Amino acid sequence: MIPIETDGLTRYYGSLCAVDTLSLKVGNEIFGLLGPNGSGKTTTVLMLTTLLRPSRGSARVCGYDISSQAQDVRRQISYVPQDMAVDIKLTGRENVALFAKLYGISHRDDTIDRVLSMMDLSDRADDLVRTYSGGMRRRLELAQALVHEPKVLFLDEPTIGLDVAARKKIWEHIRTLKDRGMTIFVTTHYMDEADHSCDRVAILDHGSVVAVDSPSRLKSLIAKDIISARISGNVTGTVPDGLQILGQNEESEMLFSSDCGSEKVPILFRWLEEQGATVHSISFREPTLDDVFLALVSTREEARGFDDHKFRTMLRRR
Amino acid sequence: MNDLFAYFERDMIRWVRGRISVVSALVLPAAWLIFVGLALPTTFTEHYIDFITPGILVLTMLGASLQGGSLLIFDKILGFLNKFLALPSSRESILFGKILFITTRGLIQATVILVLALFLGASFLSLPGVILTYCILALFGVLLSAFSTTIALHLSDHDAYAAFNAMVSMPLFFTSSALMPYNVMPSWLSAIAYWNPVSYAIDAIRALQEGVLAWGRIGALLFLAVLVVAFSVWQFRKVTV
Repeated sequence: MIPIETDGLTRYYGSLCAVDTLSLKVGNEIFGLLGPNGSGKTTTVLMLTTLLRPSRGSARVCGYDISSQAQDVRRQISYVPQDMAVDIKLTGRENVALFAKLYGISHRDDTIDRVLSMMDLSDRADDLVRTYSGGMRRRLELAQALVHEPKVLFLDEPTIGLDVAARKKIWEHIRTLKDRGMTIFVTTHYMDEADHSCDRVAILDHGSVVAVDSPSRLKSLIAKDIISARISGNVTGTVPDGLQILGQNEESEMLFSSDCGSEKVPILFRWLEEQGATVHSISFREPTLDDVFLALVSTREEARGFDDHKFRTMLRRR
Repeated sequence: MNDLFAYFERDMIRWVRGRISVVSALVLPAAWLIFVGLALPTTFTEHYIDFITPGILVLTMLGASLQGGSLLIFDKILGFLNKFLALPSSRESILFGKILFITTRGLIQATVILVLALFLGASFLSLPGVILTYCILALFGVLLSAFSTTIALHLSDHDAYAAFNAMVSMPLFFTSSALMPYNVMPSWLSAIAYWNPVSYAIDAIRALQEGVLAWGRIGALLFLAVLVVAFSVWQFRKVTV
């Protein structure tokens, strides 16, 4: 059975199309939904977890329709939203016990001990959550989500706001869960994390999927090497053969792609100087998902005016 | 049923562990009883404390219930509600858990008032009368907490809820029969007061002081409670975020 399957899934907020005819098939894997803030990631998760009705299209989770068989879907899944919602006045064990009761788990105490130890929280289980770090709170939420052994786990930005070590640990746990046979559907805007940990990713831009594949295949799509150059001055002419302009990244470096970066660096350097630009630094590296994203998402915000109303709608409905 | 108690237990533990809110919940009704019950210059009765106590009891339930709606607002803002709504357990158990907690907390506050009123020299109820008073207060609590929790379900932030609370609580209280009997009210007020649900509860408890069961008032309260709870269940079942 296919864990998640969407067919033309669409959601409007008024005239704003948050998710646009999304058709995906997710197997037994760690599937990452990537995209910038406001690209429709959370809206997609809300529809798949039955919390929001699609405007058009349909989706099935573990074979159950999200609209007509919502109750069956909820029995198969767990959902961890990005808000970090754990009760700080309760102990870790009490937080998990609440979910064990709500799921109607038999052998409750054993189950609670098991999920707490899976998430490395046994030592601190009887402390108030007030004293937990951000990473521990997130792991506690994972423990809550695991009490009923869901088939599909939905994680919305699981590493947001955590430090590097905590992020690494969360991803280790996610991989362990996948090895135990769980399907994990995760959203993130941290491309590098998805690059390391997801089996397949979908890149979302303004509600539509622009690419779906494994991170390595997506990277091989654009090029072998990425050359980034920090320059001042304008460049207008056509680039030399064997080089393509990808665009400008957040540090306002010009990015180029090439099949053999080491040979093209001197050529690019000369060309840039001929164009009258001053080159401050130039380097080449393997491509990352960030580069893939930049290459695929060509129409950037600058082209349009800033629509305050749309922006607010998006934030509220994130 | 287990779901309901799990939600109830969660709210209860959080309330008890936030000590200051417990103290506040017990001091506030006492202050009302003492300052309103003993200080208002009244001419229509010798024992104003006997007259005002049912009013303060119902006021306390009213305040507790309307304030209780903010519990759901915070669950919503902080992301708990989304987690709960994605669970396979029935969604109305979220509502029933809140009703049970808010009403229980209100009844605990009401107990403080009853005990204090006895110390202040009130001598108004028999034992069956006290039991029936609790039943009426519980019914009133169910009505108002279902109402406030369902309103909270549809409001987006705490400011909006505070505005709703302020708009509803004071008018409901001052247009009720809490502070004075119908025969000393201006006629326009007595007409409004008679149809105010807050008066249903107050009048029913006052009737118990005379040893009378006011079926009309209790029935009206029951009818409203059933109506509002049924509507609330429907809202919780179909809610999306």
